[in-house]
Amino acid sequence: MRVERLLSPLPGLLVLAALLLGLEWAVDAGLIRRALMPAPSTIALRLWDLLEAGDVWAPMMQTLRLVFTGFAIGSAIGIAAGLAMGWWPAVFRLLEPLVELIRPIPKSALVPPLMLFLGIGFTMKVTSVALVVTFPVLVNTLQGVRGVDRVMLDAARTHGWPARHTLLHLVLPAALPLVLAGMRISLGLAMVLAVLSEMLAGEGGLGFLILDMQRSFRVRDMYAWLVILAVLGLALNWLFVLAERRALHWQRR
Amino acid sequence: MRFLELDEVTKEYPTRGGKPARVMDRVSLSVEEGEFLAVLGPSGCGKSTLLQMAAGLLPATSGSVRLAGRAVTAPPPEAVYVFQQYSRSLLPWRSVRDNVAFATEHRLGRRRAREAAEEPLKQVGLDGFGDHFPWQLSGGMQQRVAIARALAAGPAMLLMDEPFSAVDALTRLDLQSLVLDIWSRRRLTIMLVTHDVEEAIQLADRIVVLTNRPTTVAEEIKVALPRPRDPIATREHPRFLELRHHLLDKLLARHAG
Repeated sequence: MRVERLLSPLPGLLVLAALLLGLEWAVDAGLIRRALMPAPSTIALRLWDLLEAGDVWAPMMQTLRLVFTGFAIGSAIGIAAGLAMGWWPAVFRLLEPLVELIRPIPKSALVPPLMLFLGIGFTMKVTSVALVVTFPVLVNTLQGVRGVDRVMLDAARTHGWPARHTLLHLVLPAALPLVLAGMRISLGLAMVLAVLSEMLAGEGGLGFLILDMQRSFRVRDMYAWLVILAVLGLALNWLFVLAERRALHWQRR
Repeated sequence: MRFLELDEVTKEYPTRGGKPARVMDRVSLSVEEGEFLAVLGPSGCGKSTLLQMAAGLLPATSGSVRLAGRAVTAPPPEAVYVFQQYSRSLLPWRSVRDNVAFATEHRLGRRRAREAAEEPLKQVGLDGFGDHFPWQLSGGMQQRVAIARALAAGPAMLLMDEPFSAVDALTRLDLQSLVLDIWSRRRLTIMLVTHDVEEAIQLADRIVVLTNRPTTVAEEIKVALPRPRDPIATREHPRFLELRHHLLDKLLARHAG
């Protein structure tokens, strides 16, 4: 049983290793031009240099700060608006047309107008990240609130719970599985918008570096930064799943 | 003294286009202070609707509901509703102790509510289970948690909606004895809704029999069996058998028609 669990990711890892070896071979054999795609081993060496020189941390922290801040603001707005819209029909009627209008717009298209208003600094980038995070969280929270069991709400009523207490201690935790599912979707989108707005703003961060390296024909560096970005995304998602599992420990049945 | 009084209570639901559907037609009944009343009726006859109106969870279309001398317009602090579906009324993300603290935390704060949860947990035989989660307990134990939660509120009256219908037969007998014990020790007033004839006779001082929809009161019977009631001996008492015969006869006759 234990051995099986340890072995279960093996086939997938083997496919990855085969792909990397194949790439290495294809570049060596001249099937892929080095100018477009250096051999994975040289990318790894470049990556090692970057790590050793300590050049990785500043851009990574810059992007991380952007993702975290935007994710936090967007999630807070999404949860608050979703709760309010799900709980008070009047708020729903007030905000629903606005939400339905902005929701389908690809948020990447809003970065250029945001740059007009907010410039190319942190504010603009955080705003675009927060914007893309808000809607999946909002929609899921709204659904979660509407799905709260009526029996549970009646239990709160028969025990004399005030509305505020019910909202915070019953509706919110009951909706939490859906809220967190929305946040997980939003985390991926936050990475996308962070990288994109960094590219468009040109003020540093992983997104900016990837584009900058490509423009200055430093292809090896471009791929090295790409790998760093991928690892970052993987780590964030992994951390989130871990936190989610902790928060929803009671769901194991 | 009359503790709960329903006077000509009628319930109608709007239908699409047509005139409203009347599901309950001028039902009048009362529960004396300290009395155990069972409301007996076939499934779908609107027993739960009646109980929810008594609890202030559902407004009546017309007629009046009075509890402890006041008109009921919202859930009154004197009465707590115990739900049939314990698995839906307990909070799955809370431990047993925190589910019982549910009853008082908005008044006492979380910490003191937790302390106050120990006594009712003991009373329903669940001391030592405070840190468990509902999904770790059997159905019967979950309903005990729900009863402990109701008791923690310190109510004068319990409104019980088929509280034992979702557990197995032996557990049901257990829980019935538990409720009888709590009722007499705490001098509670109880209105219990059920479709189980034997349960009604076993527990109640008086039985109100309801008709099918639109619901009206078919008859009222005094049980007149000695207390304390025993899960085995009481069920063999001549009066028990007589009542059982009479009530089943009535319910079955109406069921066929």
